[in-house]
Amino acid sequence: MSGLEEFKDELEVCFGTSCGFCERGCPVYQTLKVKTLCMKGRNRTMLGLVQGRFEISPAVIEAAFQCTLCGNCDRWCSLKNTEHTRAFREYLLKHGVEPMKEHASIVASIRNYGNPWFQPRSARNRWTRGLNIPKAAPGQQDVLFFAGCTSAVTKQLTPGLIASAKLLQRAGVKFATLGQEEPCCGSTLMRVGQREAYDELAKKNVERFESLGIKKIVTACPGCYTALKKQVEEHGSKIQVVHVSQEIAGLVKSGKLEVRRSHERMTYHDPCHLGRLGGVFEEPRDIVKEVATLVEMPNNRYESRCCGAGAGLQSAFPKLSRELGSKRISEAKATGATTLVTSCPFCETQLRTIPGIRVIDLMELLLEATQPEEKKNSGPAKQAS
Amino acid sequence: MLMSFTEELVAALGKEKVLLDPSERFVYGADWSPRTSDEFFPPEVVVLPRTTKDVQKIVSIAYEHSVPVTAGGGLTGMLGGAVPLYGGIYIDTTTMNGVIEIDPKNQTIRVQAGATLQEVNDAVLPYDLWLPHQPESKWISTVGAAIACDNDSTFGVRYGKILNCLLSAQIVTGTGEILELGHRKAHFTSSGYKLKDLLAGSEGTLGVITEATLKLEPIPATRRVDMLVFPRLGAAVDYLSRLLKAGLCIEAAHINCKRRLKFYTHTYRQKFGRDPQIPAWAEALLAISFAGDQEIVDEQRSYALKLSKDFEAQLVEERELVESWWASKYTLEFEPFKQNWPDSQKEKKFGAADPGVPVGRLEEFYHKFIEVAEKHGLDIIGMNAYLEHPNSIGFSLSCAVWVDYRNMDEVKRFREFHDELSKLAIAFEGTMSTFMSDTYQKAPYLELEHGESLKYMREVKRLFDPKGILNPGKKFGRQEESK
Repeated sequence: MSGLEEFKDELEVCFGTSCGFCERGCPVYQTLKVKTLCMKGRNRTMLGLVQGRFEISPAVIEAAFQCTLCGNCDRWCSLKNTEHTRAFREYLLKHGVEPMKEHASIVASIRNYGNPWFQPRSARNRWTRGLNIPKAAPGQQDVLFFAGCTSAVTKQLTPGLIASAKLLQRAGVKFATLGQEEPCCGSTLMRVGQREAYDELAKKNVERFESLGIKKIVTACPGCYTALKKQVEEHGSKIQVVHVSQEIAGLVKSGKLEVRRSHERMTYHDPCHLGRLGGVFEEPRDIVKEVATLVEMPNNRYESRCCGAGAGLQSAFPKLSRELGSKRISEAKATGATTLVTSCPFCETQLRTIPGIRVIDLMELLLEATQPEEKKNSGPAKQAS
Repeated sequence: MLMSFTEELVAALGKEKVLLDPSERFVYGADWSPRTSDEFFPPEVVVLPRTTKDVQKIVSIAYEHSVPVTAGGGLTGMLGGAVPLYGGIYIDTTTMNGVIEIDPKNQTIRVQAGATLQEVNDAVLPYDLWLPHQPESKWISTVGAAIACDNDSTFGVRYGKILNCLLSAQIVTGTGEILELGHRKAHFTSSGYKLKDLLAGSEGTLGVITEATLKLEPIPATRRVDMLVFPRLGAAVDYLSRLLKAGLCIEAAHINCKRRLKFYTHTYRQKFGRDPQIPAWAEALLAISFAGDQEIVDEQRSYALKLSKDFEAQLVEERELVESWWASKYTLEFEPFKQNWPDSQKEKKFGAADPGVPVGRLEEFYHKFIEVAEKHGLDIIGMNAYLEHPNSIGFSLSCAVWVDYRNMDEVKRFREFHDELSKLAIAFEGTMSTFMSDTYQKAPYLELEHGESLKYMREVKRLFDPKGILNPGKKFGRQEESK
């Protein structure tokens, strides 16, 4: 099986319907306006390949890889479009297409360092210094905090992780981390078409979590959240996977964290993997609403527009990726908000590169608002854009 | 050395606006219409213009080389109108979706023709205005395509269709000339010939529409949608006629046969896992809306319901049923990841004929529709009569069947069904098309529909497009154009 025949029936359904409703919210199509770059066109391209209408060409490869897998097309459809796109990427790699050089480097880095950022494994643990977090050991803890590689190895993003850990500690949650042995979650491998490497990693990950007797994984990264959730479900594990915003929102609601409120207008950007693809919309908003006045962008929750960083787009198509980010920042500014809050290291990194509005991690925001007033200045630095 | 037309296009527009790869061309080779997946008609080149000047360059090159030019928007046509049958150049107008001017005081908008109807409404919403021409494909259907196809609108009985909103349009003719047709921001004119009106349903055969000035309407404060069931389709027609006589201002009116209800209640089935129930005696369902200030809406609705008692009608009390129908027809607010399109089309797809018949013959024609569909062995979805003429009873008919698009024989039988209903509508003193236009499917019957006047139509076509390069094969067969 080549990988596309599996979806032939769905490709034909898309062709048969041809409603094109996927075009409206597709960030890439709305920027480039080439029909091969929205899902209807991409499904037709796959159908054409299955039918032998044309050969693999640079345009076919672009159709597969110029996509952030943000899932907006799925929201307006009943087909598994992002699955089709992932399968399309795998199909091309199996049929002699060399991985994009940027993606090949990412894969090599994951193999060598357990992260796609060419950072040594020791970097994975730097953020925990001084926090006194125990390392996970068999049967010693129920809750594992899974930091995710991007925040852990990126200096500008570590305040978000530190804030998450401090908030959990302040609320009395007992948790451990895997330290520098924290593995790659596999999200990137899956999204750039490296299916076999992903499957191997997923199996190892679940075995590792099970061997430690973990009951719940709290992760700070939406990419890790969807990837780990999928892995435990696919392997029949009972481990619960939650995003840190879900865990913390519960603690705020139950009064375990006392929050100081301001009147600042803030908007919230739904990371695709947390919101549309993960179904977590309200908990992050509940936190923002505790801290400030929340003003919504017109495209919010299921309709949220991708920041442009995901699924290898930022590395392989940086100009397009930045255009997508700029559009999102324009939307945020138009609300009159002075701060954009989000809860994803990719979104944060991407959106901070575009000037015009302060971008802050949800946990940093909350930590600031839970500090006693006099200690506020000694808390994690604001990440001004 | 002479350049090929594709080389000239690249030279004139730049390579980023010209798509030549077979895979890229392939995706522009089919629309929404029932067809097997073998029936793609890829153009030889796809161009992505940004301005009217770009379109002028494209058509001029096509004219010099006598190459077909087909312009398209969202490619959601139901009968192949924008499919480039003879290859050549496909102009994707969706790259021209800019707003040129919003004039709130005069309630107009000037847009590039590739703007979707939704994009127009998004742009004018801050001014409390809207474009009431609203087909179900509004998210994807473009202004230019709505004019060229003359497609349907949910709110036709109050506002009419796109032509009622169109004040002026810019086109590029088949020789590459840029023309403005219309009456600027005036709502109508008694001056000259109404060439602008020729564009409605022209299918891009007279010119590529590049810009349009559209009349907008104030957004009503509230809307109330109701459904009533009737023992006969004809009773629903009589009832609507009575409402209009009474002086009520109806916003939307759709008469469905009872079979059609199933197709429009996707959210109901999602929510309750069953088909909605209506009384066994009910043969027709009328969906009707009133919109405006709350007091007026309440008063009109109340009067309409009072009158319904004279027509053996019964109000549908179950709001989930009404809202589910309205979601399919207008709001498209389905559960995420479970959109009606394409969830309802997994086995077979929706296919329709779009005839128009005199108001008093709806019932009679409905029975013919069932008879013809059964004769061709097609599963029946049902009939929907949309009122599409402002403050009058005139309707478009959507006579819909399921088509197995994986089965060539069934697609063929669908086309025979479509043709038979089209001819039958003329025999009923009606018309063969009310919202899908002629395309190539109805081209063989144009003489039957128009008689001697067809030769004047050919002359009009020749005047705008002397070489017959604009969307060849549509309305007239390719040989017909040279007659």
